[in-house]
Amino acid sequence: MGVCLASLLLGAGSVSPADAIQVLAGQGSDEARFIVTELRLPRTLVGLAVGIALGIAGALMQSVARNPLAEPGLLGISAGSAFAVAVALVLGASAATLTVAVAQFGALCGCLFALGAARLQGVGNDPIRLVLAGAALSSLLIALTSLLLLFDERAADEIRFWVTGSVAGRNLDSLMRVIPSFSVAALITLLIARPLASLALGERVAVGLGHRPGRIRLLVVIAVALLVGGATAMAGPIVFVGLVVPFAARALAGPDIRRTLWLCLPIGPIVVIGADVLSRLIAAPTELPLGVLTALIGAPVLLAIVRARRLPSL
Amino acid sequence: MDLSHPVMPRPTDRPPAPDGYWRLRLSTTARGWNLLLDKRSVAVNGVLLIVLIVAALASLSLGTVKLSPLETLHALMGQGATMSQFVVQELRLQRVLAGIATGAALALSGCLMQTLARNRLATPGIIGIDNAATAFAVASVVSAGIAIAPSAMSLAGAATATALAFGLAGGSGTRGYRFIVAGLGIGAVAGAVTQVMLSRVAIDTANAAYPWTVGSLNAREPLSTAILGAGLALGLMGAIYLGRYLRILQFSDQVAVGLGIRLRQVRFAGLFLSVVLTGLAVAVAGPVGMVALLGPEAARALCRYRGVPLLASALAGAIVMVLADLTGRIMLAPIEIPVGIVTAIVGSPYLLWILLRRSPRSHL
Repeated sequence: MGVCLASLLLGAGSVSPADAIQVLAGQGSDEARFIVTELRLPRTLVGLAVGIALGIAGALMQSVARNPLAEPGLLGISAGSAFAVAVALVLGASAATLTVAVAQFGALCGCLFALGAARLQGVGNDPIRLVLAGAALSSLLIALTSLLLLFDERAADEIRFWVTGSVAGRNLDSLMRVIPSFSVAALITLLIARPLASLALGERVAVGLGHRPGRIRLLVVIAVALLVGGATAMAGPIVFVGLVVPFAARALAGPDIRRTLWLCLPIGPIVVIGADVLSRLIAAPTELPLGVLTALIGAPVLLAIVRARRLPSL
Repeated sequence: MDLSHPVMPRPTDRPPAPDGYWRLRLSTTARGWNLLLDKRSVAVNGVLLIVLIVAALASLSLGTVKLSPLETLHALMGQGATMSQFVVQELRLQRVLAGIATGAALALSGCLMQTLARNRLATPGIIGIDNAATAFAVASVVSAGIAIAPSAMSLAGAATATALAFGLAGGSGTRGYRFIVAGLGIGAVAGAVTQVMLSRVAIDTANAAYPWTVGSLNAREPLSTAILGAGLALGLMGAIYLGRYLRILQFSDQVAVGLGIRLRQVRFAGLFLSVVLTGLAVAVAGPVGMVALLGPEAARALCRYRGVPLLASALAGAIVMVLADLTGRIMLAPIEIPVGIVTAIVGSPYLLWILLRRSPRSHL
């Protein structure tokens, strides 16, 4: 709540926090009302959705990969959806249409690849190798994306603002477009929270309790793809949120995935909106891309996780 | 009674060279220099040198203006048509030389660092040294206040990143993977900082700094290539001198200490060389990923893992770089693909393959 309010009150433009409060109370000048309701409110709501989606997706992936470093951004899933969007743009779609489905499809491919690699080759047991593989996949996809954009100036123009990751200038339409898929993902998450918790106790325990690990994993992959693809379609690839949020939630809630997931609901928006507010304040009157700030916040967390004597086992 | 002893071997009789080696005598006395040359690596280096020359010739002759190899040679000598002389000498030679120098420097640096960290993934690109060098170079272009040349700044950036990764990981030696992840984090932060700087300045300044953020051999000033060439020559000599110690460093620390290696000094010297080479290379070509991984990999595969293939790494890196640049120039002409994108597209799948194929135990 606090950060949401801050996000509405602070920022560029000639609207002081006091003016913004007046607008929220139903008064204030037209200009101030425009800035607060048309610019800052959508932005805050998009940040809310992105934060929740990435936080939940990160928690789900970490739980199913049994790896505290499994993060959608680091594993190349965001890069996968960015690449898919770039392909669609080059093939002639405009940024407004199609983007969500395409981004989710790209995320699904990236997700299947990452988890498949982790499970088939046993890389999942070695967190750092998984992250390195993700880094390699990301760098490949990013190189291919920039190669595509070399050809097509129109696509390059459309994608340039999007590829750094930002919630600035997003309107409520883009949020509306992802609501259906986010609802599906939320439903899946509710359904699999319990089986996932028993899967954390080990494959055999889960089977003994009457769950089917294969099906749980498949559902997780679908939910993660919907969430990450949707978030990427809205805000561009944003790295490290899926790492930081579950890390903080787990530190507060302990190892139970169900409580972790619930805690991701407030923590995700806090991280994303907080970073967004910072991005407006640090460089005022210009802004920093949100992705830059999350990298600045996330990298130290990554180091902290790795530096810890024993990697927390999941 | 003849009590003569059995004839003892005289000290001047050296044992014959072991299988697969040549003994090179540089003096006639017993205590003089004498060198064991691995036949295989001599052959490998010879072949690599020939391949490099062919690749360089190809890169000189191909492009929008196509020349036959003979015409190219003539143009190099200063004969033939004025047009082809101009194309070869003014446009392409500089670029090929820059490619050879940066490729060799990056790969040599990668080979050194891999050996020191005992981890084949510990290359400057992955440890974020590239990114940090880039960030510093961009800082120098972007901010009017810093009067230091971008090349010097990229050196400083490389050094800072290495020191940080080293400090955060608590040393490079026994904790190769920790070193790498510390570097991943540093690379992410440096990349973010670069974006911050680029997003905060006027568009003209950002455009001036842009070449530093993509790996490309396009339009680099000759002076920094010359500096890199000199640095490379010195670095190569230093690395080969260090080679005998690095070989022993491949064993465990205890063994190395037992054999009388001063670990700290060797590590410091190796890291120093590696950082300087990376910094100089980034100053010329920007961050070109994966060459530091591919060069040593190829060299090690060809030399069959005998020792530390420093020279072969440098040659292989130069080949990779020249070929990648040539590919980027001619594949989609007239659009030019920056060499960094080509190496990423080739190198990333290879890196993935390494990561997914190997069992967790084998690090190098």
